[in-house]
Amino acid sequence: MQGGSSGIGYGLKYQARCISDVKADTDHTSFLTGTLSLKEENEVHLLRLSSGGTELICEGLFSHPNEIWDLSSCPFDQRIFSTVFSTGESYGAAIWQIPELYGQLNSPQLERIAALDAHVGKINCVLWWSSGRHDKLVSIDEENIFLWSLDCSNKNAQVQSKQSSGMLHYLSGGAWDPHDVNAVAATCESSVQFWDLRSMGKTNSIEHAHVRNVDYDTKKKHLLVTAADESGIHLWDLRMLKAPIQELPGHTHWTWAVCCNPEYDGFILSAGTDSTVNLWLVSTSNHDELPSESLVESPNQRANSLLNSYSDYEDSVYGLAWSSREPWIFASLSYDGRVVVESVKPFLSRK
Amino acid sequence: MAAEIKNLDTDLQMLVYENYNKFISATDAIKRMNSNIMGMESNMEQLLEKIKTVQSRSDGVNTSLFEKREHIEKLHLTRNLLRKVQFIYDLPARLGKCIKSEAYADAVRFYTGAMPIFKAYGDSSFQDCKRASEEAIAIIIKNLQGKLFSDSESIQARAEAAMLLKQLDFPVDSLKEKLFEKLEQSLGDLQLKDEDISRCLLMSNDPSKLENHPESVAATVHEASVQEFVEAVRAYRVIFPDSDKQLIKLAQELVTKNFETGEQYGKKRIRAADLLAVLRMIWKEVLLMDEVLHESVLSEFSLEAVQITVKHHVASRFSHLLHDISDALAKVYVGQKEGMEEFPLQVALGASKKAVLQGSMDILLDFRQLLDDDLELLVKLRESILNWVQEGFQDFFRELHGRFLLLSGRNNSSGQVHGVVEGTQGDRILASLVLVLAQLSVFIEQTAIQRITEEIAASFAGGGIRLYENGPAFVPGEICRSFRSAGEKLLHHYINLRNQRISVLLRKRFTTPNWVKHKEPREVHMFVDLLLQELEAIKKEVKQVLPQGLLRRHQRNDSNGSTNSSRSNPLREGKLSRTNTQKARSQLLETHLAKLFKQKVEIFTKVECTQESVITTIVKFSLKSLQEFVRHQTFNRSGFQQIQLDIQYLRTPLKEAAEDEAAIDFLLDEVSVAAAERCLDPIPLEQPILDKLIQAKLTKSLSQSAVSS
Repeated sequence: MQGGSSGIGYGLKYQARCISDVKADTDHTSFLTGTLSLKEENEVHLLRLSSGGTELICEGLFSHPNEIWDLSSCPFDQRIFSTVFSTGESYGAAIWQIPELYGQLNSPQLERIAALDAHVGKINCVLWWSSGRHDKLVSIDEENIFLWSLDCSNKNAQVQSKQSSGMLHYLSGGAWDPHDVNAVAATCESSVQFWDLRSMGKTNSIEHAHVRNVDYDTKKKHLLVTAADESGIHLWDLRMLKAPIQELPGHTHWTWAVCCNPEYDGFILSAGTDSTVNLWLVSTSNHDELPSESLVESPNQRANSLLNSYSDYEDSVYGLAWSSREPWIFASLSYDGRVVVESVKPFLSRK
Repeated sequence: MAAEIKNLDTDLQMLVYENYNKFISATDAIKRMNSNIMGMESNMEQLLEKIKTVQSRSDGVNTSLFEKREHIEKLHLTRNLLRKVQFIYDLPARLGKCIKSEAYADAVRFYTGAMPIFKAYGDSSFQDCKRASEEAIAIIIKNLQGKLFSDSESIQARAEAAMLLKQLDFPVDSLKEKLFEKLEQSLGDLQLKDEDISRCLLMSNDPSKLENHPESVAATVHEASVQEFVEAVRAYRVIFPDSDKQLIKLAQELVTKNFETGEQYGKKRIRAADLLAVLRMIWKEVLLMDEVLHESVLSEFSLEAVQITVKHHVASRFSHLLHDISDALAKVYVGQKEGMEEFPLQVALGASKKAVLQGSMDILLDFRQLLDDDLELLVKLRESILNWVQEGFQDFFRELHGRFLLLSGRNNSSGQVHGVVEGTQGDRILASLVLVLAQLSVFIEQTAIQRITEEIAASFAGGGIRLYENGPAFVPGEICRSFRSAGEKLLHHYINLRNQRISVLLRKRFTTPNWVKHKEPREVHMFVDLLLQELEAIKKEVKQVLPQGLLRRHQRNDSNGSTNSSRSNPLREGKLSRTNTQKARSQLLETHLAKLFKQKVEIFTKVECTQESVITTIVKFSLKSLQEFVRHQTFNRSGFQQIQLDIQYLRTPLKEAAEDEAAIDFLLDEVSVAAAERCLDPIPLEQPILDKLIQAKLTKSLSQSAVSS
């Protein structure tokens, strides 16, 4: 695996930050990715893994008006996705629909279903609830959390509720709890905040600085993974937020993104600015008894938890996504616009 | 046939003739017998008659004497009774006499003889008598008791007294208990006390003073009292022969208590010699007691106790050592807080190094003393001591390793470290501590373990082999490994901590202004100063603690010339401006191409434990962070120019600080490129303006440093 010879590559024209698994596409393993170029015309690429799993095919190429800072595919309709974009001076977020007959059109245009236009400041992300059809959306900008109610057929999105994060709490991202339709975790400078969408209030928080990315485990309830710049990856049990149940060293430089595998328990991917993607295997089954074990973990244990390090990247890796259809496959995206799809099949037996 | 018959007839005739005589004599004998028996019958009748007369005569005598005999018998009985009564009446007087002559044994014999009578008639006829004799006996008992308790009496006499008392149905057990209590009390006095120990130590430390030092006499008091106790035990044993068990228990108790004292003492910070002295003292006691009580297996018992004591001693020495090292490390805090010393970290590192090495050596020396001693007890324990020492070192280093990790505070919840000092100051000190720990780990791995292994091999070998089955005793390889990994981990942790601080600084710098509406750059931004300050502080710390990497030293000096860098500046700027004026698309392509053709610069190389390597790594990391922050923003022209200016200013000092110039150049260019990419209108500052601003900043910082110094 070392050296990335098995990885399937695909080059985007421009730099890019975000890639998303198209979960609603049950027939193919597909990913959506969008470019980040300040001055050029940006594109959204719909990539599909060939049936043999040896090639990435560009299934659709759509122009997008602005550089894309965040992109996520709708979990129940493969043609719908959301982006956060920036004109350089201001930010916007929108829900898009891929035109129905895009295969036959030369330069198909994305259809904008709705604009999430209530934001003022810098928008961080738009979240879908990943565990089923849900007509709500959450969008997070630096100072507020919005709950939208989306009506795809009527092409309409309405702000249902909105709450400010409070003074001096600049939000930077978030994740929607797949086990609880009302719970959202939002990262800010000094902590991870937990929001209840019914009351739009903070329920709890983890005091942990500089969390860059956060992901819920879709299989295990109460398990949250965070990635912080320098201090690596932490696993938290949502019932005891005082201290992490496990620590992983993360990356040589910053750890930018983490992803829990949607199917295989304990497989965690992380991407970092040291141009690597690391695959970790953590045992979370017995964490209830050993909350303080991470303190004096033996070096062996640490070494063992890192299954592989994919280092065939030229630049920082910001985008990372597991495929939900073939959960041993993941896509990664480095800043220079290279998409690499890898399979972790050789490591599944380690479990 | 006829002849034959004739023959037979003659034979027959011959036979008859021959036996004829015999038949005649037999007939004669029978005739005589008959006449004799006839006479006997008459004789018998005469005899019967005579016997009958004898019988009647004797009956007559018997009846005539019967009365008298009966009378005599009665008289005899009465006389006996009277004599007994007399004895009983005399008993009090006799007892009194006995008391006077101290013939207690007789007295007891008399009294016990009279006992059944007193029991039967004591309430009626012999009331007075009984009372009197009881009084006398009471006196006897009292005397006997006195005798029993008096130490001046001979042991035989006392034993006899005890026997007599027992015969008198006196509750001897209570006496026994009393006596036992007395023994126990003396036991209390016998127990080793700290003063005893210190006195004893005084003696052992300075034997020359023994003769003329008054206190040394007092030290022997203890010994004397032990002697006394032994005597008492001996007596007691004779007196109460069935009391062995109790005595053994008592003796064991004494020994246990003494060993406990010794153990307590062993837990204190003492040298092995002192412990030896104490043990020797106790052992002497044990031997004394063993003479008296063989069955008590005191020596085995005390062997166990010594085993425990020595084991505890070994353990405590190690824990003290651990403590010492922690103390030495704590100097990092103290030194930094007071800010008195110039190189607090160096001092702390030196102290802790010394604590580790010297402490271990001291311990080994001490233990050797234990081994070399010829005290019987310790000789038996030799093997175990060897194992304990080896195990002790193994555990010690394992624990030290744990302590290091704990101190480094990898886990935020371990508030131990954070509790001491708070805020950013705490972070800084934590970082320094981590650095010191990292270097200390390297030192332990490379130097200390080796020395200790040698020392152990020299004088503690032999014990280990046996124990390998139960688990390894002292495995230097394992410890080296764990400390090597700890050293690396701690070094990374240090770099991480430092980078966190730099990241905070950079984050503030990049999130605060609105880069899209940035004003034209007028001077180098002050965050550069902060960054350089931070690096300076790191340099200062690292220089104190880490060794210099010798490899690239000369190279650096060569390329450090100012002409070199100034010449390279316009060239690079030209390239950059060319890049920027072209369209962004081709710019991206160009950077990609440039990357392809450039020798791939390894940014994330392995960190070595040298000053240069650590500083270079930190500089690289902070530049990488800078790049990431820049990539996250969108700049207008002025914002871009500001970044350009800052980067340009940073170039020289950073290259001076770090070792890997190529990587630093590359990263600085990367930052510039990132800024250009994220700029709406990337037109760089013109070179003269750039130079002018940098020059202004340089003179300003120069004058500032002049003022401050």
